[in-house]
Amino acid sequence: MVDEGTRKTLSSIPLLQTKAGPRDKELWVNRLKEEYQALIKYVQNNKEADNDWFRLESDKTGTRWFGKCWYIHNLLKYEFDLEFDIPITYPTTAPEIALPSLDGKTAKMYRGGKICLTDHFKPLWARNVPKFGIAHAMALGLGPWLAVEIPEMIQKGVVTYKEKTEEQ
Amino acid sequence: MAPATDWEEIKRLAADFQKAQLSSTAQRLSERNCVEIVTKLIELKLIDVIFTINGKEYLTSQQLIKEIKDELYVHGGRINVVDLAKELIVDLNQINNHVAEIIKGKEVQLVAGNLITPYYLEKIAREINEKLYLQGQITIGELTLQYDLPAELLQSSVMEKYLGKIIFGKQDPSEPRTFYTEEYITRTKAKIRGALMGLLKPTPVTVIVNHCNLSDRLFLSLFDQINATGVLTGRQVGALYVPSCYTKSQNDWVLNFYKQNNYLEFDALTRLGISDPKGYIKRLFSTEDMTFLSSCVIGSQIKQQLETALDECIASKSYLDVVSLLPSVLSDMDIENILDALLKNNSKSTVLFENTVFSTHFLDSLKQLCMPMTQKNAEAVVKSGAYQQFYLEKQLSKSADSGQSGHVDHKAERREERRRKAASGKGGGGTQGRETKTKTVKKHPRSKQVVNDADSDDGSNVVRKPDQLEVVSLEDVENIIKGALESEGLDDLLVQVAEYLQGGLNLTALTIAKETADKLLQDASLNRKQTHSSAQDKINILVNDIKLYEKGIKSFPSDQQVQFIKYLLKTLGSDIICEFCKYAANQCNLSVQVETLSVEQKNKIINDLTEEYKKPLTALNATISDQNMELFYQAIDTCLSDFGMILKKADKKKDKLLIQNHREKLISELEACEDPALSLHLAVLAIFTIATQSMLHCSGRQVPTVISFLKSLLKQEDFERLQLCHELVGKYLKASDEEKPDLEDVLKTEMPILKNMVQEIKKYK
Repeated sequence: MVDEGTRKTLSSIPLLQTKAGPRDKELWVNRLKEEYQALIKYVQNNKEADNDWFRLESDKTGTRWFGKCWYIHNLLKYEFDLEFDIPITYPTTAPEIALPSLDGKTAKMYRGGKICLTDHFKPLWARNVPKFGIAHAMALGLGPWLAVEIPEMIQKGVVTYKEKTEEQ
Repeated sequence: MAPATDWEEIKRLAADFQKAQLSSTAQRLSERNCVEIVTKLIELKLIDVIFTINGKEYLTSQQLIKEIKDELYVHGGRINVVDLAKELIVDLNQINNHVAEIIKGKEVQLVAGNLITPYYLEKIAREINEKLYLQGQITIGELTLQYDLPAELLQSSVMEKYLGKIIFGKQDPSEPRTFYTEEYITRTKAKIRGALMGLLKPTPVTVIVNHCNLSDRLFLSLFDQINATGVLTGRQVGALYVPSCYTKSQNDWVLNFYKQNNYLEFDALTRLGISDPKGYIKRLFSTEDMTFLSSCVIGSQIKQQLETALDECIASKSYLDVVSLLPSVLSDMDIENILDALLKNNSKSTVLFENTVFSTHFLDSLKQLCMPMTQKNAEAVVKSGAYQQFYLEKQLSKSADSGQSGHVDHKAERREERRRKAASGKGGGGTQGRETKTKTVKKHPRSKQVVNDADSDDGSNVVRKPDQLEVVSLEDVENIIKGALESEGLDDLLVQVAEYLQGGLNLTALTIAKETADKLLQDASLNRKQTHSSAQDKINILVNDIKLYEKGIKSFPSDQQVQFIKYLLKTLGSDIICEFCKYAANQCNLSVQVETLSVEQKNKIINDLTEEYKKPLTALNATISDQNMELFYQAIDTCLSDFGMILKKADKKKDKLLIQNHREKLISELEACEDPALSLHLAVLAIFTIATQSMLHCSGRQVPTVISFLKSLLKQEDFERLQLCHELVGKYLKASDEEKPDLEDVLKTEMPILKNMVQEIKKYK
């Protein structure tokens, strides 16, 4: 199961209602609206809790998403690029979030930088179709992954701090 | 078109999303960090803030002041600083610091840890006003308790400030801490007036005050304004209210009582509630002449009554029972006091027994009743010798006390005698003691006693028992006066009167007894004087005789003298002793009835004599058996000197005369004598006297010796005749009864011859 903090975060994200994929045209629009509303709420929540940890944007159709995520360790901010596509079977299938810059640097990763989610993620997602959306995937998948993997990688020296990246 | 609008909406949402993502994150700091930051800031003095006690909040000073003011307002204008601290959760010190700042504004004041605003005081004033109207009066004390504020503040900033503005009432002028309404005062006055009007007897102020439910002070201050018909005994709480009707009735009662009875009892006044009866009476009867006694006061009327009664009593020669005249409440002591004062004037004519005054005349009459008995008793006592006995004992004890030894006592005795004579002479003047007054009689023996004391030889103050011989007993007096007193109803005073009379009567009796005794004594001393001289004469004669006889004895040869001397002493010597004894016995008041004393009687008398006589007499008695004339004479000399006698000197002429007389006496006796033995004895003695011109005293047994002595002095025939006679007499004395008549006849013829011979011898000698 997920930890307590994650559960709390999760519960504050609005649940979605429309079960539609990118191929469903009109219904997808509704789905996308709900996705955006959930994301906005999630981000707002994060900001309020002083826990802002990613930037995300999508293309026009809302099928391809990209952005950045960061993790603060020992007062240093490690920043990574982030990207994923909405699968055609979405929302039944969860999106596969990838951190290309970390490809090959850790075992918990598939080719192309797709992160290996925990065993719990997939059944949890499956149980919550169509209620979970992108925001949930971020909170439930990437957040915990970063919290576990990044410190380990930093310790191994695989990831190093890059002074003054292109942040702001 | 619908999808288009949907996509528009998506775009807008995407933009919103971006906007949301780009908006700045709230900079969330942990509490710990904040505390650190603030501490740092305070350290650097960049900010000035105040912590709350729980440490959760920071306040600026301005905020605190504002909050304090707000709290003050919420609490209605008054708040305790401590409560404030709790309310604002700020340290009390900080509150105090800022309170000081608030007070600077001069509107709010800090009183006993309370912040108080003017509008609060105003509110209080309104409340007080309401309460005042409700209660009628109010004290600062009450308010202090109610509002828990200092009295001064209430007094100055509330009551006095708002008096007449908000509070409508009056301040008690005597007690500035009390306020009341006009109505209340009027009401109270009415209440007090009513209470005082209703009172009939003195009542403590506290009772009135409690009853009316007032304060003492208010009562006292209002009392003056009420014009009550009564008096307060004091201004204190313990004072009494005495209604005038009570005072009036009290005075009336006292005046009436006094008018009726002319006396007042203190107890009665006390019962009426007069605490100082004496002072009260003095005030009430300032003009009256009153006599204050221990328990009451009596007026002059009673005294006058008493005086007149007394005068009457004296005049009527009777008695007066004072109790019947005086109020019954008087104690015995009071009566005594009154009588003392009254009797001072005529104490001579009255005597007081308990509470009955007797005039002396009355007592005299009683005394007269007793006089015969007294006289009788006195005489009886003298006659029985009890008086003399008593007197002698007194003298003896006195002399014993004065330590004089026995041998000089006869001097004292004589002096005593002299004094007695003198005293009796003095007493002789007052022979009519019966008529003399008791007082004078009383004085007499007392003064005499003083004289006696002064006269006593060593002058030492020997305590003598004030023993008076009781001639007249109490019972005697009682018996006599009983009848007289009983008839007057005075028998309860019988004993006292009797005692009084008995003293005087006894003295009278003693005087009488003394006179009688003195008379007796005078006689006795006269007798004694006579006995003295007669004894002296007798002894003189005897001594002289002895001396003459002794001379006669001297003519015998010395070996024969002893017999004669022995006989001489045995006869004449014991005669002398007898005389001495008789005299001494007389002196010692021993009675000697017989004329001649036997040896036993003599010894007994000597033993019974007092020391002064006993000693020389015993010595003399001893010399008789000594057969020594010299010793005998010496003893006689001492005896005589001790007895106060003198021995006359031997007179030769007189001696010759005596011898002649003796001879004549012997011859005449011889002439008359019939008895042959005695005749021979007398003849022999006479012949001896004629022959030797000296006297001889001998016994019949010594006759032969004398005859043989005469042989040389007589003619032969005379001697033979004498011898013959002697033989005849010897025979006659030894002869039996048958022979006696014969011898008697012979002697009868011989005797006249013998007598003639004596005559003849006398002639030729």
